[in-house]
Amino acid sequence: MVRLFAALLLPAAVPAILTALIWALPGDPAEIICPRASCEATDALAARWHLDEGPWGFYTHWGRAALAGDFGMSWRVLQGVPVSEMLAGAVPMTLVLLAAALLPVLAGAVGAGSGFLPRRADGSLHVAGLVPAVIFSLFFAAVIALRFGGNSFGEEATLWRLVFGAIVLSVADGALAGAVGGVRALFRTERKQRYVQIAALRGEGMLENVLPNVAAALAGQLRARVLHLVSGLVVVEVVLKIDGLGDLLWSGTLKQDFGVVLAAATGFAAVSAALLLAQAMLEIAVALHIRRAPRVAAAVSA
Amino acid sequence: MSRFPGFRGAKHLLVAIGLGSTALGTGAMLTFYEESLPGSLNPLYASSMVDYRAQELIFDRLYFHHPIDNRLTSKLVEKGEVAEMGKGWKVTLKPNLKWHDGKPVTGEDICFTVKAMLDPATPSPIAQGYRTILAGCSAEGSNVAIIKFTKVVHNPMERLGFAVLPKSQFQGTAIQPDDVFSQKPIGSGAYKGLRNKRMATYDAFPNGHHNPGVAKLQLQEGGDPAVQVSTLKNNGMQGMIAVPPPFRPEVSATDDLALKSYDLRSWWFVAVNTKKGPLSDRKVRQALNLLLDRMDLREKSIGVKAGEQNSPCEFISGPFVQSSPFYNRKVLVSERADRAKAAQLLKEAGLEQVGGRWSYGGQPVTFKIGMLSPLNNEAPDLLQQISNQLGAGGFDRHEEKVSADDWQRKVVSGAAMDFDLLVGKWSFGVVDEVNEIFETRGANKKGALNIFNYSNPTVDQQIVEYNQARTDTAANDAYHKLHATLADDLPYLFLWKLDTKSAWRSEVKGNTIAPYYYWTEVDAWKYLN
Repeated sequence: MVRLFAALLLPAAVPAILTALIWALPGDPAEIICPRASCEATDALAARWHLDEGPWGFYTHWGRAALAGDFGMSWRVLQGVPVSEMLAGAVPMTLVLLAAALLPVLAGAVGAGSGFLPRRADGSLHVAGLVPAVIFSLFFAAVIALRFGGNSFGEEATLWRLVFGAIVLSVADGALAGAVGGVRALFRTERKQRYVQIAALRGEGMLENVLPNVAAALAGQLRARVLHLVSGLVVVEVVLKIDGLGDLLWSGTLKQDFGVVLAAATGFAAVSAALLLAQAMLEIAVALHIRRAPRVAAAVSA
Repeated sequence: MSRFPGFRGAKHLLVAIGLGSTALGTGAMLTFYEESLPGSLNPLYASSMVDYRAQELIFDRLYFHHPIDNRLTSKLVEKGEVAEMGKGWKVTLKPNLKWHDGKPVTGEDICFTVKAMLDPATPSPIAQGYRTILAGCSAEGSNVAIIKFTKVVHNPMERLGFAVLPKSQFQGTAIQPDDVFSQKPIGSGAYKGLRNKRMATYDAFPNGHHNPGVAKLQLQEGGDPAVQVSTLKNNGMQGMIAVPPPFRPEVSATDDLALKSYDLRSWWFVAVNTKKGPLSDRKVRQALNLLLDRMDLREKSIGVKAGEQNSPCEFISGPFVQSSPFYNRKVLVSERADRAKAAQLLKEAGLEQVGGRWSYGGQPVTFKIGMLSPLNNEAPDLLQQISNQLGAGGFDRHEEKVSADDWQRKVVSGAAMDFDLLVGKWSFGVVDEVNEIFETRGANKKGALNIFNYSNPTVDQQIVEYNQARTDTAANDAYHKLHATLADDLPYLFLWKLDTKSAWRSEVKGNTIAPYYYWTEVDAWKYLN
């Protein structure tokens, strides 16, 4: 219930909190474009962008328009371009990058849970995870610039940016090592439980006994891993110049393009909310499954 | 052919879901690195040199200085004549001028541009600058416009250097920065331009008055200069607008690359807050000027050794570059520090030296020194070197880099009074007027660029003399006097003019680089790839 409530609240709360934060930052976008000392229409520009209504007024105006699908125009990041158009380009890019980075993480988690991935691999993964994402990203960014030159933003270079981005995201900062280690520890602890050992003595499969009991914890871990990847997205997208939500959030903040910042942050909040919802659904499903008195009980009574 | 093995299937998949990346063709496309991406392609919202350069490819300015012989000329105007008893200028447009959407350029467009700049709802500092001199405009027929001034001006064409906008692209004369025109402008220049998140692209648009020699241009943001130079050497890109001094020897030594001078008429300075503590005393400012060892600064930050021939860095004693007719050669440059004389001046100003540190009113003097952050690319460590020299002279310091946005918002508007010293650079076109930098702030946006709100009646009087000058000689005389006054009063510690150099591959021919706007003569450029 808490997760469901949080999931519904996040997309509205994050932009509200961000509005308060960006309002507290020094600088006013209207004054950057039209400085009072050399331009007399600063107030008119502020009024056009609802900056004269205070943070609450700005937020409510932005929220109402966003609900109607109107995110306004970019003020500074890409002056004159509808923010919705920028989002439409950025969201698929971020989702592809995220999915590509999640694949090795999931594969590692499955390998660790099933015992397919040997424990001796953990050390290597841990060492690779010590390298910060920014170092890997800078290296790959230079490789792309030198390899592709003027075609650095062509199709092929963009594909390579995504591939390198996914590798960096999944390996750097301990994402893969954390997933493997976390799942391995969870299964190891669960396998030591008495009910699992009894089930093993009865000749039942290990996984079918353990999985329902660790499913909720696994979902929690998976959500944490995805959030780990999402938080790394900004660095990877900015340094590797991938036109995703993270890059949009960064450039919007840097240029005080409030509409872009709020839209990008709402995108991230929506991802987080979706994950919370998925976790809540899985927990409900597991609870229902356990209440259904599974086959183990039937076997005992027989 | 893929540059990396494999991944072709994935490539098609990604393309199918619409990555939105730009597919780049081959052929005669000239790609080059800029210092950053342009902020806006709307000429009313240019706020950096990158913007001015990016817009020069797309728009025609009504009048401009020819980069070769400096004469005022126009690609649009067939005939210009005095009107309205000297308070107007009548222009007759050349025939067959077209906008990039195929519509004809008319006198209505000229007048629309004037009216848009005069509209108080257009929040543009550039438009604001024209509001003091332009009064209105009326169109006669399809190709004549009469532009009206607020007063009789002796050099009307000089005042009409604005880029002309197409009336058909706007709903009214209040032009907003977030209009789609800022990204996809329609101009009448040599190229049709489009800016996206990673680059600006330009397609040649042959016109009655333009015949560009390169089919396509592409501007990308330059990152690490070392990577830029390497990419140029590999022919991955063909040009680099600004090569930082430390990389120039490497470019010069490469057969396939040529260094080209780009005359920006820019000079570097340390602005002094004359309203703050001991700095309000002229003797203290003069002492600081003597504490700066410019030769040492130049060597440590730009890498120019004493006595080096063809130095890219030329010292100045006032607010003009040495090649300017306004530069007063009687005012000598201070190249080396003179700490003994500085100490004497500081003592005369009432400062006391306690334990090697200077105190004022019993308190140790600490300077808050700032620098426009991007300048660090051209002169690495300059802020630290200046701070070190003042430290060696007996002052405590606190350094802070100022972002380009904060420079525009706070420093230029005179709201950064918490700083004591600010290191910056001003760039000029052919006319290097400095009125807005030094005159007292006041009505009609006087002193709009006066960083520390400096005020000196003598300076104001000399600026009035310049404004009232009716001949070049009178204007030069007024500015020579201003140069001498400022070199004595020192609201700025003047540093140097630092040459800007571009690098272009040898396959690029006919690449005349115009002062300030860079691309004015782009029609003659050729790329023999």
